[in-house]
Amino acid sequence: MSIDIRDLHARIDDQEIIKGLNLTLPKGEVHAIMGPNGSGKSTLAKVLSGHEDYEVTNGSVSMDGEDLLELEADERSRAGLFLAFQYPHEIPGVSNANFIRAALQARLPEGEELDAVGFYKELYAAMDALEMDRKFTGRAVNEGFSGGEKKRNEILQMAMLKPVYAILDETDSGLDIDALRIVSKGVNAMRSQDRGILVITHYQRLLDYIVPDHVHVMKDGKIIRSGDKNLALELEERGYDWLSEESAA
Amino acid sequence: MSAEASTAIDIDRSVGDFSYPEQHTFDAGTGLTPQTIDYISDVKKEADWIRKFRHRALKVFQEKPMPTHWATKDLENIDFDKIRYYLSRGQQPTRSWEDVPDDMKETFERLGIPEQERKFLAGVEAQFDSEAAYSNVKESLEKQGVIFVNSTEGLREHPELFRKWFGKVIPTGDNKFSALNSAVFSGGSFIYVPPGVKVSHPLQAYFRINAENFGQFERTLIIADEGSEVMYMEGCTAPKFETSTLHSAVVELVAMPHAKIQYVTVQNWSANVFNLVTKRGMAHENAEIRWIDCNIGSRLTMKYPGVVMKGRKARGEVISIALANDGQHQDTGAKMIHAADETTSNIVSKSISVGQGRATYRGQVHIPKHLKGCKNNTECDALLINPKSKTDTYPAITVRGNQHATQHEASVSQVSEDQIFYMKQRGLSEAEAMSLSVNGFVNDLVREFPMEYSVELKRLIDLEMEGSVG
Amino acid sequence: MGVIVEAENKSSSILEEAPAWDASEFPDWYREMQESAWEAARALPLPRAKNEPWRFANLKQVAAVGDYVAAPPVDEETARELVARSRMLDTSEHRGKLVFANETLVHDERPDEDGGLICASLAEAVTTHGQRLQEYFMTQEATLGSEKFALLHKSRTRSGLFLYVPAGMELTLPIEVYHYVAGHCASIFPHTLIVTGENAKVTVVDYYQSASEDEAGLSCGVVDLVAGQGSQIRYVACQNLSTRSANIHISSTLASADADVKSLQLQLGSAWSRTESVSHLSGKGANSDMLSVAVPAAGQEVDQRTLQHHAEAHTTSDLLYKNALSDRSRSVFAGLIMVDEGAHYTDAYQTCRNLLLSDDAEANAMPGLEINADQVKCSHGSTSGPITDEEIFYFKARGIPAETAKQLITFGFTAEVLAKLEQPAIEALLSRLVEAKFEKLA
Repeated sequence: MSIDIRDLHARIDDQEIIKGLNLTLPKGEVHAIMGPNGSGKSTLAKVLSGHEDYEVTNGSVSMDGEDLLELEADERSRAGLFLAFQYPHEIPGVSNANFIRAALQARLPEGEELDAVGFYKELYAAMDALEMDRKFTGRAVNEGFSGGEKKRNEILQMAMLKPVYAILDETDSGLDIDALRIVSKGVNAMRSQDRGILVITHYQRLLDYIVPDHVHVMKDGKIIRSGDKNLALELEERGYDWLSEESAA
Repeated sequence: MSAEASTAIDIDRSVGDFSYPEQHTFDAGTGLTPQTIDYISDVKKEADWIRKFRHRALKVFQEKPMPTHWATKDLENIDFDKIRYYLSRGQQPTRSWEDVPDDMKETFERLGIPEQERKFLAGVEAQFDSEAAYSNVKESLEKQGVIFVNSTEGLREHPELFRKWFGKVIPTGDNKFSALNSAVFSGGSFIYVPPGVKVSHPLQAYFRINAENFGQFERTLIIADEGSEVMYMEGCTAPKFETSTLHSAVVELVAMPHAKIQYVTVQNWSANVFNLVTKRGMAHENAEIRWIDCNIGSRLTMKYPGVVMKGRKARGEVISIALANDGQHQDTGAKMIHAADETTSNIVSKSISVGQGRATYRGQVHIPKHLKGCKNNTECDALLINPKSKTDTYPAITVRGNQHATQHEASVSQVSEDQIFYMKQRGLSEAEAMSLSVNGFVNDLVREFPMEYSVELKRLIDLEMEGSVG
Repeated sequence: MGVIVEAENKSSSILEEAPAWDASEFPDWYREMQESAWEAARALPLPRAKNEPWRFANLKQVAAVGDYVAAPPVDEETARELVARSRMLDTSEHRGKLVFANETLVHDERPDEDGGLICASLAEAVTTHGQRLQEYFMTQEATLGSEKFALLHKSRTRSGLFLYVPAGMELTLPIEVYHYVAGHCASIFPHTLIVTGENAKVTVVDYYQSASEDEAGLSCGVVDLVAGQGSQIRYVACQNLSTRSANIHISSTLASADADVKSLQLQLGSAWSRTESVSHLSGKGANSDMLSVAVPAAGQEVDQRTLQHHAEAHTTSDLLYKNALSDRSRSVFAGLIMVDEGAHYTDAYQTCRNLLLSDDAEANAMPGLEINADQVKCSHGSTSGPITDEEIFYFKARGIPAETAKQLITFGFTAEVLAKLEQPAIEALLSRLVEAKFEKLA
């Protein structure tokens, strides 16, 4: 059981960003995608989650055998795909608790009501684990949150929605060391045999906390190198250029 | 937004969309003549001064042109000759639901009124076409001297209280529709709260139009005597008829020094109602008047609740939510007249335009010369849901002198595509995401409504949003 | 002051008596156009209180337009004197200078008409560039209330500038045009028409002034800016008529795709000044910035009506009007942002700020929006208020006395607008004029 990406091409407006990408993310594993700015990492996250601005021009993506590209963004989510946004959006007037509740309610069969008592119990436990103050339940989603608070809020939503596959897009950006530790703890708590996690990052730093099973290097819309966690260390040391030179050769 | 294909949405107003066969004993017929007025006065056995008041008002109404030099031309589609101005069974409002005629009782039961009364209301009046069918106020309030009756009874039984202010806050000639109401008014609530009495639970009136081609012209006058407090809530519905219906009320509020009146409206008229209402309050020294208003439905609503701040440190506020769907025009706003030092007013208006609906804000703030320390703050936000949704804002602010401060801000926005994508990524459908966003947009205002109303409000907004996206 | 030929007969009101067209002066097409404009102007009634575009307007001032008569010709001495006074920008700071006294060109200094450039007085252009002129002359109708006055202007105008800047040409330094009105109850009808070809650039400044501070004159001007694709127009109207005068100024901007227009109104003089400014954004990427500063004092009134009309998607406009009101002065601002159906991705802003410096001053603001498309960003804001005690306290805490603080704050209030023109020489000039007015007040 896995997400399988085969020869994926995608573009925004007239510009091709993903140019023949192949990747398999099995359940039970954590994969990291690293790469320089502009390599298409964040575009990949948006394409996988179904953003309408991007057009898939070729290739296929399946999730546990199901054609992901056929599904609307919300259907992908309900099928078990989660994206932790690099820039989480603010939703004025809608409280965090109500938002998560609505998302969980959307997963229940018609006519079935979410158990409010159980929901809050679980929510509070998840917030405690992420060291989030209770006041965040009543505040509008991401509105006025600091960068770190927004990222923590993304992981909180992931904990509550319990996805089968999660993509973390630059979750480490804008985090100080304490916040990075807390967020990583939250992600690590979600590691399981029944879940695949794809960590997209620019820096090796995050991978000290969330240790990946596999590391892929992305450049110019493609995976140009895959390896184990040592690849990340090597990149840290030597930068990305030696890889491009190698692949060009 | 992937909402290009917005078609006319047939809103499920099923809760209010039903009617019973007419059984009227008194019917003033169609059209408006001096005889119509005599008929109404005769049925009501009114004092001579009221009859004269009505006749004078009819003249003013006939002389005044339609205000189409600034308002919508749709007003010209009202055919005053085809409207029935008075319909009743000559019933006296009863104090017990048991005594209310069956069809009326069933009507109000289906609308949930008796249940609400049991749960959280201090008093209820239920009007069916021209007259109230039921009117009751809690005994404890009655003992404290609170009066809650309909207009006929108020003017007949308590002229010493009501005559002084009747037609004073809103003079007959204020506008064409206040003149019309003054000529043919019937029903509505007359409330008097004695000095120092704080009515802890809301008083509620429910205005129901049952008959076709009918004009409902209730008249409300609320006097909160010194240091007293009262909250009044009105709800309105009508069934969906083929022909248009007219609702034209006049509501006058008088807050004596240190008194506080909150007037809450949740209107959910069907889409063929012309709703042309004049509402104004007069706030004396240190008094406060708040209009909390939600306008959903109707073909055209024109309503600009106002506060005349007559005494020092008086306060006026208008909180307004409007939702305009296909074929609807919500032309609402506020009027703040500062007539004393250190008076403050606040206007917060939020509108949502769905499909081809049009929401208009019209405001007037007036701070005349030689006053000191007056303040006004106005915020108008409009949310457009579909590509052909429309919104207008027309405020007029006059400030004289250098001892005041006014601030007006308005914005137009839509739910951003990024926001919808974020919510869809969490598993919400586009429609759910839109509905949640819209509720978020008005959330801070919905909170100003009493709990029981805010739940209803959210449900109504959700209903209106159905089918607008996707 | 030189000898002004007095109007012979007070009953020869410009609202009543037909203009005296001189058949030898203009070609037939122009005279015929003026004759039919006069008939049309006569047929229209004067604005009335119930006319929404005249809400809050001082209708006594409107009626007083009928007190003005046709301007007599000025004598040579007066003309010389006026030319000598026409020195706003340094010679090194402008590209050309035209001076009109009672609509007669009395000073003519302008760039050569090379490479397709037309830079002519209106009277000259009517004869020598008739075809080009007709293409653009008064094609933008007045819509904000002054329809009658626009027609009156059309029936009488014979002065002002016709500037046609061909594609690609950039005139970096401004062209200055002075319009003087001389004689008691005299009226002038100055016209400005600027047309830019693709990617052309130009700056023009109109000055509206009185020959004498003691005379009441009327200036009824029309300005049309037609900005071609990708072109750039900077336009300033500087109105400093005598404080007994009246000013009507009807201007329109038509911005094609990617055109960028900034226009500024500086209102210093006249007893009553009515300005109507319209921007039509008709091509993708078009932008119009509409700026205004007014510092009315004594019993002066400024009456400002604006329209930002977004007819096409992806257009932007930004309006900033500031009024600093002293004494018994009065302002009316009525602005409208109108977004047509289909004009998605419009960004439009409108701000009107009134600084009330006296207890007798009055500010009326009617900031409006009419939005008929979604995916737009539109907002307006309007504030009216005095300089607050906190602001003054901040200055005092730095050792600055209250009176100085007020002057600095007021001056800063207007400076923000002038800076937005991004024309340092003009900004410096206008600042000096504003400062001079404040000094006169203090």
